[in-house]
Amino acid sequence: MKKFLLSTALLSLFAQPAFAATGQANTSAIVMFLVFIAGTMVITWWAARKTQTTSDFYTAGGGITGFQNGLAIAGDYISAASFLGIAGMVYVSGFDGIIYAIGFLFGWPVVMFLVAERLRNLGRFNFADVTAFRLEQTPMRVLAASASLLIIALYLIAQMVGAGKLIVLLFGLEYKISVIIIGSLMMIYVFFGGMTATTWVQIIKAVLMLAGGTLLAALVLMAFNWNPDAMLAEAVKVHPSGTELMAPGAGVSGNPLNALSLGLALAFGTAGLPHILMRFFTVSSAKEARKSVIWASSFIGYFYLLTFIIGFGAIALLVRHPEFYSGLAGDNSNMLTTLIGGTNMAAVHLSNAVGGSLLLGFLAAVTFATIVAVVAGLALAGAAAIAHDLYANVIARGRSTEKQEMRISKISTLVLGVLAVLLGIVFEDQNVAFMVGLAFAIAASANFPVLVLSISWRGCTTRGATIGGFLGLAFATLWVVLSKTVWVDVFGNAEPISPFPNPGIFSIPLAFFAIWFFSVTDKSARAVKERDAFTALTVRSQTGIGRSGAQDH
Amino acid sequence: MQDTIVEKVLKHPKYAELVQRRTRVSMVFFAVALAIYSGFILTLAYMPEVFAQPIGAGWTMSVGVLTGILVVFSAVIMISLYVYFSNKIFDPLLEDIVKDVE
Repeated sequence: MKKFLLSTALLSLFAQPAFAATGQANTSAIVMFLVFIAGTMVITWWAARKTQTTSDFYTAGGGITGFQNGLAIAGDYISAASFLGIAGMVYVSGFDGIIYAIGFLFGWPVVMFLVAERLRNLGRFNFADVTAFRLEQTPMRVLAASASLLIIALYLIAQMVGAGKLIVLLFGLEYKISVIIIGSLMMIYVFFGGMTATTWVQIIKAVLMLAGGTLLAALVLMAFNWNPDAMLAEAVKVHPSGTELMAPGAGVSGNPLNALSLGLALAFGTAGLPHILMRFFTVSSAKEARKSVIWASSFIGYFYLLTFIIGFGAIALLVRHPEFYSGLAGDNSNMLTTLIGGTNMAAVHLSNAVGGSLLLGFLAAVTFATIVAVVAGLALAGAAAIAHDLYANVIARGRSTEKQEMRISKISTLVLGVLAVLLGIVFEDQNVAFMVGLAFAIAASANFPVLVLSISWRGCTTRGATIGGFLGLAFATLWVVLSKTVWVDVFGNAEPISPFPNPGIFSIPLAFFAIWFFSVTDKSARAVKERDAFTALTVRSQTGIGRSGAQDH
Repeated sequence: MQDTIVEKVLKHPKYAELVQRRTRVSMVFFAVALAIYSGFILTLAYMPEVFAQPIGAGWTMSVGVLTGILVVFSAVIMISLYVYFSNKIFDPLLEDIVKDVE
């Protein structure tokens, strides 16, 4: 515990001169963020005393309620990228920003109707427990861990780079220092407090974010006498795209297959994201898992509606403040290119415009908190993939002790934290926009088909699931690497090889087909046993009888 | 030991009913969700002009923006309905089975 307190002290010491040095930071933002850190440190200290076993570490001992878990999931989902990113997209192209929000949201009906309850009934710590329930441990765990670690790495890099840049703007900190602060805080939460601390940090942040977003949207609507259409009318009047803001843009209608492909990956990817699925094991039963989904989707849906108001409100109101732009032209024609900090800062400037520096400070602090919380959830899912899947079940083949697994997961947390900081620094000037999309594509093309078929189709065998999962993973990755977003924008080649950037429309059906084909042609004795074991799996997934609950150990 | 519990559940008269009804309900819900979502995506991809129209004379809001907002509500409503079905129909069935078996 002493070591932990020391590191907190070190961190704040180390943060002080940096804040002072740049001198352009918002004082209220810094104060509020320090209050947030202090509060979450107390929670971590409290959680650390409750984190003794692997069950505590990975799943908070299964003692989170459905409502709390719903908030935590909403917190994981409403990352800085999705809040600032969607508001920014609405600011740039209006309607097109809505498409992303709806895609992210429609992951939830999929999760609810296909996986949530069965997942809780079948697994202990993460979704690999479920795919390995009746299929062979080693290949299923290796597949789940490879896909999960790849998804987590992509997500982590995207968050770290986006976050680092954001913090440079919001707090006037140096890029490297902000990345190191995020990494250090994340390591403290996860290392000492495990899932309990990570969940509570996420819950607090979600509440703050929902409150801040509600206030911001309310202030915007108030400026238009609570008439949303008056706000839209003003937005259309000042935006260079005019009424096209209200319609699907050229980026979408110009390539319908790509739009469709993106839509599929967004909707099915959620049910394959390791850090989201892991949250279903923190509740005590399938009934609580169900409650989690209803709360999570309500909060996420509500927050996206706020984001639309914030995005359109930013168009309508920001042009009245030339100080937010570097040389705004009289006809606003350059309002997209001259916004200080880029279009992702639209929501942040808006908070300053309608709520003054106090609201700006609050939103900046919450955004910083968001990044730390999301990154902590990712690190925990990564530690579970390494320690629980690869170490305990593949390398040690189930012969490791609880203590050993716990040690490995803590070491993994530290390694992942250091790695996240290093990758954040390495990728500072790289274009990382494709990474979240690729993470969703892999989740939808590898984890999702394997998970769904292994729990709902009797015929699924280890051979089918392994080949299908890896094919989906490889195809989606290769497609994105050869597409414009990486092949041209990152590697600097002249022409992309993939016809459009999003692989989902091919990679998801390919994975399903391959799992089916290599399962039905599997005549091995193992396959026969696996098909027979489906009956027991169904009984458990439907009734929860025999599942591991909160009092498992 | 585990096998006898599985067999007991399988022999329980309400188990087949539970599995059948729950599978049917979740499949119907999934199909509706997929229809709404793919309808939205297909319309914006292939018939963007439908979404571009204003919802009425004197309005700025377009059919697309309004549909988008309604689609957000539809997701939450579908999930709530599913939870309602689960609490009303499936949980009582499940409780009976668990009580008899354990």
